[in-house]
Amino acid sequence: MSINLIIFALIVIALILMYNSLVSKKNQVHNIFASVDTQLKKRYDLIPNLVASVSKYMEHEKSLLSEVTKLRAEANKPNISDEHKIALDAKVSSALGSIMVAVENYPELKANENVMHLQGSLNEVEEQISAARRAYNQAVTDYNNAIEMFPTNFMANAMNYTTKDVFQISENERQNVNVKELFNS
Amino acid sequence: MKNLSELTDFYYKVLFVSLKRLEKDRKQVQSRIIVVGVLFTLLTLSIYFFLFSTIYSDPNIMIFFAFGYFTLGAIIYKMLIKDYTKEFKEKVIHPLIKELDSNLNYESNQHLSQKYFRDSKIFNSTIDRYSGNDFVHGEIDDIHIEFSDIHAEKRNKNSKGKDSWSTVFQGLFIVADFHKHFSGSTVVLPDSAQSTFGDLIGGWLQSKNASREALVKMDHPEFEKEFVVYASDQIEARYILSHSLMQKLLHFKIRSKHPLHISFVGQSIHLAIEYNKDLFEPSVFRSLLDYKIAMEYVQTLHLCIGIVEELKLNQKLWSKQ
Repeated sequence: MSINLIIFALIVIALILMYNSLVSKKNQVHNIFASVDTQLKKRYDLIPNLVASVSKYMEHEKSLLSEVTKLRAEANKPNISDEHKIALDAKVSSALGSIMVAVENYPELKANENVMHLQGSLNEVEEQISAARRAYNQAVTDYNNAIEMFPTNFMANAMNYTTKDVFQISENERQNVNVKELFNS
Repeated sequence: MKNLSELTDFYYKVLFVSLKRLEKDRKQVQSRIIVVGVLFTLLTLSIYFFLFSTIYSDPNIMIFFAFGYFTLGAIIYKMLIKDYTKEFKEKVIHPLIKELDSNLNYESNQHLSQKYFRDSKIFNSTIDRYSGNDFVHGEIDDIHIEFSDIHAEKRNKNSKGKDSWSTVFQGLFIVADFHKHFSGSTVVLPDSAQSTFGDLIGGWLQSKNASREALVKMDHPEFEKEFVVYASDQIEARYILSHSLMQKLLHFKIRSKHPLHISFVGQSIHLAIEYNKDLFEPSVFRSLLDYKIAMEYVQTLHLCIGIVEELKLNQKLWSKQ
């Protein structure tokens, strides 16, 4: 009788521990995504200023600038899902990267203090975003592992938890800068 | 900054005259130590047998004598090499530092303030005795850097109430300005748990370390294998430890060949390299012209002073301008 009771108590404790660990992992993902979001907002706030400063000079890149503005407007819409935010972030990163490369072709822009300052702020925000993204990816990996691994997978199933996406690190970011190519182009 | 081979050339060419003279001193000191050592040993033994020839089997008196012999011996040894040590530091270590960077100052009797050591949060245990020497400080490319030899010890009381001292850290302690803004603390320690107990149990043990802040898993497998990271803020830790910095720290660890502890607190990076011996001391029983001895001085100094360049601390990117 008492042995049955002990076994029952142990099972209950194990269930409670599994439940709590899953909830804390989910909340961790949620918290870190909030930080990612803050950093992303910071970057979106820099975009109008940047577009205004460079649009006078950039004749050939008008479409690029309007695309960034459009993406920013989309990201500022209320109630967009986390997955959508992640997708938008990737597009904005690549568009901003192209603008920064284009700036190199305009000596007037490179001499413009305001543009250089903006570029500095953008770089700083990019580093913060990158750190937040890496933290998010780690939290999601821990969460996904718990959902897919035995024995917490049963509990996660019962709780209707599903795996989440991580931020993809773009190929451009992963590659080392090829200085030679930059000079040739 | 001069590279390693240029510095070795400097040691053998420019310092050659000083080294030759020091070498003469060294030989004198060496023979004096041998003579005094033999006399001292004979004296101790004769006193021992004269006084206690009847009860010499008492282990307590044996221990007392042995203790006295080593303590007094150490004091005599220190006295004998005092002038030689001073001369060596003035004529060899000081010029080597100046050659590496003329903006650096060197004080052989001073050491890094204990405040830095405490604030670094690298070592948690209380420090009851703190000493050091060979203090170097100054600016390299507008980056303030300080380092010195440090010996930090803790007092332990045994069951009989007797004090004994254990070393918490002995080696080089470096503090330098760091080029990013941050407000929390991030501590990077050698990964002993994971390498001893494997990933699963070691990782679990690390996460349960109550004396440290939250464990942060880094997304750099080689770095994660060598080090364990604890930080007050997950995101800030990753902001500081970018992929390129992790790569550089790994490289630095491999070059230093000794356990490396790092922390980012306040506005600074702190590095504690565990040598477990007093560095920059003159060699007494081996020639100063010996390549291995020379390389030890040259390499260690090059490693410390080169840290600004190696970790690119002087590239104040965007946040601090």
